[in-house]
Amino acid sequence: MSEFAILTDGLMKHYSETRAVDGLDLRVPRGSVYGFLGRNGAGKTTTIRTLMGLVRPTGGSACVLDMRVPDEQIAILYRTAYASEKKNLFPSMTGEHLVRFNRPFYRTWSDALAAKCVRRLEIPMDQQFKKLSLGNRTKLCLLMALAQGAELLILDEPTSGLDPVIMDELLKLLIEDYAGDGRTVFLSSHSLGEVERVADWVGIIDHGKLLLESRLDDIRTEYRRINASGNALPVNVNPQILSAVRSGSFCEYVVKNGADHFVVELRSQGATILNVSPLNLGEVFLQLVRKEEPCTSGNAGATPVALSPST
Amino acid sequence: MQLHVSPATGIPLYLQIESQLKHAIAAGALKQGDTLLSVRKLAADLRINPNTVARAYQNLERDGVIRTVPGGGTYVADNVPGLLKSEKLKQLKPFALQVAVEGTHLRLTRDEIVKQVQAALDELGGRS
Repeated sequence: MSEFAILTDGLMKHYSETRAVDGLDLRVPRGSVYGFLGRNGAGKTTTIRTLMGLVRPTGGSACVLDMRVPDEQIAILYRTAYASEKKNLFPSMTGEHLVRFNRPFYRTWSDALAAKCVRRLEIPMDQQFKKLSLGNRTKLCLLMALAQGAELLILDEPTSGLDPVIMDELLKLLIEDYAGDGRTVFLSSHSLGEVERVADWVGIIDHGKLLLESRLDDIRTEYRRINASGNALPVNVNPQILSAVRSGSFCEYVVKNGADHFVVELRSQGATILNVSPLNLGEVFLQLVRKEEPCTSGNAGATPVALSPST
Repeated sequence: MQLHVSPATGIPLYLQIESQLKHAIAAGALKQGDTLLSVRKLAADLRINPNTVARAYQNLERDGVIRTVPGGGTYVADNVPGLLKSEKLKQLKPFALQVAVEGTHLRLTRDEIVKQVQAALDELGGRS
């Protein structure tokens, strides 16, 4: 048994000109709650649909629970619960009907967990699916996935349409019944707040490529924002200095690893260090996926200075 | 004893838990032998990953702040952390540096900064 619940190597899905997934190397540790983050259209859903056998990869390989996609897809589906972003179930069936229909397919189905979902998420079980609001449809889809009791839970945008109280209850359910239990939760999202609490691993995808994959607490330790003032502060970026924004005699840097060393270097150049602070996940996310020039001078509207070539 | 963690600060959550528990013990809110919540219960209360709470508890146990009885819960340790003085000072250093940086940035005098630290100690009950 490998240490990864999901493992992909150079996974690709190209639609003629569009490279939805473009050489993805995912390593999702078993027992983790893994937040799969990216902007709209970054390739999150295509990746998940590939893992679930709904889309054939154009290249690369993927394993789920040590079984190969798509050759061993049926066996994978037995042991994986999946709530898609579409939130579609049989329209004329009620919640009760759907539970009775789905239950016999899964050996690990838990009636207790199903009942807990109904209670905690306040799901109306006696109405036809087509008559439910978007929020209630989402909740019912989550119930179907959670009650399956699978060792891998894949949730695609699970919180869209949920109000803050239900969102909170969902996080609590995941913590009580899935996280830290040897089971793996893989959830995609573009809202970072909820992920930042419950996840212990994150991967950030953009244009079908993985920009970062790390333990969340390591991200919080690695990235630093440094505010300095002084004359002729350096504004060149490199793999360590991710951005440098100068305005007047002040400069704000975002540094990955070795912030202490960089501070010493700045001081030796006569700079005054005003502040060194950690970045939260949202700030790291913006730092990695934003399209702006990472190295500018002046406030908004000012023209960027000529860049010294980074070495 | 209510803990609060905030992911938005960018400070690792396990460190936030560690420092709040240490603070509660230093301030006397938690006493020797007091029971702590289980990993899963605290994680559910705070809505954070149990692995993160477990990491905080492991570090606190390594530092001698708490002890875990297998199958019998987690307690505040009987003895004050048995760390070497040098180790304790090393742990304190980054915080001292932060106070010094912030104080200088606010253009406070050396004396005013030291007084502020003394006032904070007094507030804790002057255990030192």
